[in-house]
Amino acid sequence: MNNFGVIEVASTATKTTPGWAYVPDTGGHPSLPAALQPKNRKRAAARNQPGLSLSDLTARQENKLRKDLEALGRDNQREVNIPIPHKSSTSSRSQKHTPNVRKILQSQKTFANHLDDYQALLALAESNPAAVVNNPLLFMNKPLASSSASGTPAKSASPAAATPPPTNKRAAAAAKRAAAREREEERKRAKMVSLAPPPPTQPEQQTEQQTEQQTEQQTEQQTEQQGDAEMVDVPTTEGQQEEKEVPSYPPDGTVLPAYKKPPPVAHPGDGDPLLVSVVPGFPTDEELRALMTAPPLNYMEARATFGEEGERYPTRVFCEMCGYWGRVKCMKCGVRVCALDCLEGHREECVTRYGL
Amino acid sequence: MAGGRKPKSAGPAPPSSTLVLDNGADTIKTGFVTGDDSTTDKAPRVIPNCIARDRHSKTYVGSELEKCKDFGEIVFRRPVEKGSIVNWEAQKEIWDRSFFDDKAPQKCDPSATRLVLAEQPNSLPALQTHCDQIVFEEYGFSSYYRGIGPSFNAYQDIQAVFHTPRTPDTIIDVPAEVILLIDSGYSHTTVTPLLQGRLLHPAIRRLDVGGKLMTNHLTRLLSVRHFDMRNETYIVNEMKEAACYVSLDFKGDLDKTWKGTRGERREDYATGAGIAKDYVLPDSHTRFHGIVRDHEPGAAARARKSAVSTEDILTLRNERFSVPELLFNPTDIGLRQPGLADLVMQSLSVLPVGLWPGLLANIVVVGGNAKFDNFIQRLQVELLERVPDECVVRVARPEDPIISTWLGAANFAKHEHADRLAVTKQEYEEHGAAWVARKFALGLGLDT
Ligand SMILES: [Zn+2]
Ligand SMILES: [Zn+2]
Repeated sequence: MNNFGVIEVASTATKTTPGWAYVPDTGGHPSLPAALQPKNRKRAAARNQPGLSLSDLTARQENKLRKDLEALGRDNQREVNIPIPHKSSTSSRSQKHTPNVRKILQSQKTFANHLDDYQALLALAESNPAAVVNNPLLFMNKPLASSSASGTPAKSASPAAATPPPTNKRAAAAAKRAAAREREEERKRAKMVSLAPPPPTQPEQQTEQQTEQQTEQQTEQQTEQQGDAEMVDVPTTEGQQEEKEVPSYPPDGTVLPAYKKPPPVAHPGDGDPLLVSVVPGFPTDEELRALMTAPPLNYMEARATFGEEGERYPTRVFCEMCGYWGRVKCMKCGVRVCALDCLEGHREECVTRYGL
Repeated sequence: MAGGRKPKSAGPAPPSSTLVLDNGADTIKTGFVTGDDSTTDKAPRVIPNCIARDRHSKTYVGSELEKCKDFGEIVFRRPVEKGSIVNWEAQKEIWDRSFFDDKAPQKCDPSATRLVLAEQPNSLPALQTHCDQIVFEEYGFSSYYRGIGPSFNAYQDIQAVFHTPRTPDTIIDVPAEVILLIDSGYSHTTVTPLLQGRLLHPAIRRLDVGGKLMTNHLTRLLSVRHFDMRNETYIVNEMKEAACYVSLDFKGDLDKTWKGTRGERREDYATGAGIAKDYVLPDSHTRFHGIVRDHEPGAAARARKSAVSTEDILTLRNERFSVPELLFNPTDIGLRQPGLADLVMQSLSVLPVGLWPGLLANIVVVGGNAKFDNFIQRLQVELLERVPDECVVRVARPEDPIISTWLGAANFAKHEHADRLAVTKQEYEEHGAAWVARKFALGLGLDT
């Protein structure tokens, strides 16, 4: 029997097929009873080998995985450059752009570039808060202190705690890349601008000048929003409406109206005293206000991760060839296949790539 | 702005026409909402959001792609990346041809129009600012609101999506009181809890699995197992949409589609067990789109051997369900992120437990991936395994999950909230881009 370079892979269940015993990899199936244990000693010994998890991957495999994931994120399998085609229809719109618009249209930055910029900005804010204190790009997502209508910080909402800030090394690298690209873009722009007539206005400077006003405007805006607020769901009393100018908080229980409708789905067991469910206490208005006015998370914070408790289930591994469970591992390259058929198929490729 | 003090900058009444734009990475959903129901679009136009070039070097911008017949080796340039408009050179060209050129099919005069634009949650501030600058400085819209796509879904009759029994005189809550909105699109999948149309920002989560990643994964599987499809993204995507489904019994389906070990003849594999399907590839002469057929054992081999056969047939087996499986088990391809059900649980975990029953009983799935068969059933099953027994879990998708955000945004455009949230061109010119971005980020605040 040709069983070159094969090792059985530890798992929790067995399946015997004529001539060879394979151990199905059932990782990821919490519903599978743990009682299904290997029965013979040989396989029990095999169980003592560590299961394949991502941390066990070799550097080569890790690298391949990263490349594979990168490839899965592409719009096209290969780099393409599609220029904007010449327009056949005419436009009566003027071809003049403002300096802001010109800069945006000329930018060839990718999302990854912009993300680097943002992370560099965050890193800078961390190391030198004074340097970015007026940078609107960093703080526009975070409402001013006065904007939290309840006047209390969102306690139940501490997004920053969910995701650790980028490590200094990575952030520094991002900052470096961003700075280099910024210089490059700047140079390109300088070239373009020198050919173009001088811009009539400098909106960016305006923005700077307005930073001071903004605080005022923002407060005004907020007051106004509160003043304008119409109570859609909660019937208001005349008295409350007259108080529009002065923001005041209604008594508890008004952020969300009481649940006054029938339960969503009727169930025959509803009347059974043994089945009466315990409804968890409804959050206080304070909590709800904090949640409903909490600032947005940033792009990295919103990305789901496994967090500290790690993955719930072991990673499932599949046959590289046919997609069935990858129960057998090629000793030469670590690739997983389901059985000898697929191993032979894999071997051709493996030999070409890594030699005999 | 009703009541209250009017700022001196308050301009004229808001424009009577609103251009509602859900600017997706794959398609743009677009239409007009006017004060008059007879001239308001009932459904959006759906335009490919790309510049494409076919193998004969012909280029198509946006809706021109309708004219393309041969999608073999077609390549795309997409202005939207990770859900955000990144490349404005391309986006402007597509918008210009759709709305602003003399012969544009949805001709729009921005100076007399409000723009309501849907964006993804948690976008990068620089990209948001670019968008605002283009809207006002390049196009000169008279009024504008950039809002989070998932929140617009709250302005629909959500209980109708759930077929909640009710009496004819029931008042429809708009915005809906409570929704857990899942948007699974081209770039990624987001979970967004909403109370009365307000986003609960700390609980918004993103899984980086979307339609693009799944299509690319299918491409890879087919290229390993059948023939090289790496330059056939468009064709593979069609195949994915036509043939892939979410498995309700992954292990069972995987067993049924396994050919077995050497020499073994497995009955399920031979017959296809109702899972295997034959996919007839387009031939770019007579058949421009692929066709799904029930599996006929030997058909693919016969087609290959026969000299007169005009059909290229691929038999799809576990590819049909192992691709959408990535939404529920991203680690299957080594992507270290929790699956969708765990994503929902992570989102709930930062919210008071008292909100869980309402959110779990009102889960709405929108976006193109919601069209996979069994998507909502699988999510419901997995959530039931994770929540306390007494919790009611209801998961539903609107009739057309792709245009749901647009329909909601169109209703929003008629709601007084639109007047509250929109900014005018004059305000932009007075207060600047940062002020506009802050106002949008603040959102509605509270009514009380
Ligand atoms: Zn195999
Ligand atoms: Zn190998």
